[in-house]
Amino acid sequence: MASLASVEAVTARGLRKQYGEQVALDGVDLTVRRGTVHGLLGPNGAGKTTLLRVLLGLVRPDAGSVEVAGTVGGFVETPGAYPYLTGRQNLAHLAALDDEPGDVEEVLQRVGLADRADTRVRGWSLGMRQRLGIAAGLIRRPDVLVLDEPANGLDPVGALALRSLVHELAHDGLTVLLCSHDLHEVDALADDVTVLVAGRVVWGGTTTELRGRPGASLLSTSDDALAQRLAGELDVQPHQSGSLLVRATTAELDGYVLELARHGVAVRELVREGLPLEQAFLELAT
Amino acid sequence: MRTLPWELRKLVAQSRVRAAFVVCLLAPAAVALVLSVQSGLPKDTLFGRHVLTSGFALPLVLLSFCALWVFPLLAGLVAGEVFAGEDAHGTWPALLTRGRTRGEVFTGKLVAACLVPVALLATAALSSLAAGVALAGREPLVSLSGSTLGPGRAAVLVLVSWATAVPPLLGFCALAVLLSVVSRSTVVGVAGPALLGLLMQLLSLLGSLGTSSNALLTTPFLAWRGLVREDAYYGPLWQGALVSLGWAIACLVPARLVLLRRDVS
Repeated sequence: MASLASVEAVTARGLRKQYGEQVALDGVDLTVRRGTVHGLLGPNGAGKTTLLRVLLGLVRPDAGSVEVAGTVGGFVETPGAYPYLTGRQNLAHLAALDDEPGDVEEVLQRVGLADRADTRVRGWSLGMRQRLGIAAGLIRRPDVLVLDEPANGLDPVGALALRSLVHELAHDGLTVLLCSHDLHEVDALADDVTVLVAGRVVWGGTTTELRGRPGASLLSTSDDALAQRLAGELDVQPHQSGSLLVRATTAELDGYVLELARHGVAVRELVREGLPLEQAFLELAT
Repeated sequence: MRTLPWELRKLVAQSRVRAAFVVCLLAPAAVALVLSVQSGLPKDTLFGRHVLTSGFALPLVLLSFCALWVFPLLAGLVAGEVFAGEDAHGTWPALLTRGRTRGEVFTGKLVAACLVPVALLATAALSSLAAGVALAGREPLVSLSGSTLGPGRAAVLVLVSWATAVPPLLGFCALAVLLSVVSRSTVVGVAGPALLGLLMQLLSLLGSLGTSSNALLTTPFLAWRGLVREDAYYGPLWQGALVSLGWAIACLVPARLVLLRRDVS
């Protein structure tokens, strides 16, 4: 891996990785802007974790290149820990392997583990281990922090605290690469999103752009036949529920509803299917 | 070598390693206690008939026993866990995303995996000598050639005899490291060396290998027998050291390559 002097924190080009017959990454390109939270989305088996492992230097790609501006830290899947050591000892051990590590006490405070740091990890909950995993990434004082399903095992309070922490880290200039199945979490945290499906990038851009993609809505009107004729270029089809299925961006939908009103067609119900981000993701991933 | 101090701390923090130290420290005293109250003697073992007449006989009896069973197990117990333990705890990603190279991590772990078994052997040697002296006093020892060895010389020969077990012990550590790295399983890493040690003992007993049995890693454990006699001979000692070195190289080179090249998943 080489260093970058530009605004990109991570640049991957043409990454390919195959395990036997299974292609995990199939020519993946990824650009992560410095100081942003970058969401990595995709269904199970899409290659997200393999991509993170490649970025962390844990897996060698068969082809392609990765450039990271500075150091990279973090964890993939469930973070590991030595059960026979305390939380503080776990962090001190990892800190001893870095050239310019962060302060163990400060990092423990930051992830909310200072009170339990002197107990052995053996009895810790999954949520506490997740926070220790984040701490293990932070103790390296990385320029890029990789988090794979960081809210896994956290209760709602813990998940909120995590979001707040990620916001703080991004505000401090750290680049965060966040892989999550929780679209609410990605929606709340990410500036940019890359969607992987079957080892390929099917979409990349800002979350605003992703939300702007045409989504599906169910529409009930006073005159569905007229509403269909007024659709023009929009994709409006009868749906099995008896409503109309409209595929449109938010802006297009606004225009369509106003057009219906101008022609005296009353909108009785308009239901968007899930979060805008969720809608867009499902459309890309399925 | 920045990885070494924490590798040692991690090993010492584990209950089974602590238990091994306690056993090495106390087991010789327990054996001495049993021998002091029972009527019979372990006459079938070298120096067994002298355990109540010279305090230097018991440590040699225990050395014979340890060479058969204990040393391969100690090597597996420590060295078999050092690498596969990271797989078991899922800690490779955290460990390998630090400022140290995989080669440095391998070296630190390897040195720790060798130092602790040697420390266990030293503990067992000293406690065996102490237990023997407590049992039968510092009386002279009758050597294998029939001569009488004074207390000072006997004590030195006992400690040197135990020291001759270090090269094959390190060979077993290397074997445990290889099994641990390749299998990524603590069960294979810990139990493998002991089972292979038993298999080698069996092959030696069958005698079908002829002089080739000298290449087995268990054979160097017998080299001390040439020392505890008036006309000491050192050939088996040097041969054993070379055999142990050969095993160590044959195990560590592929183990290192596997760790350097593996995908951590």
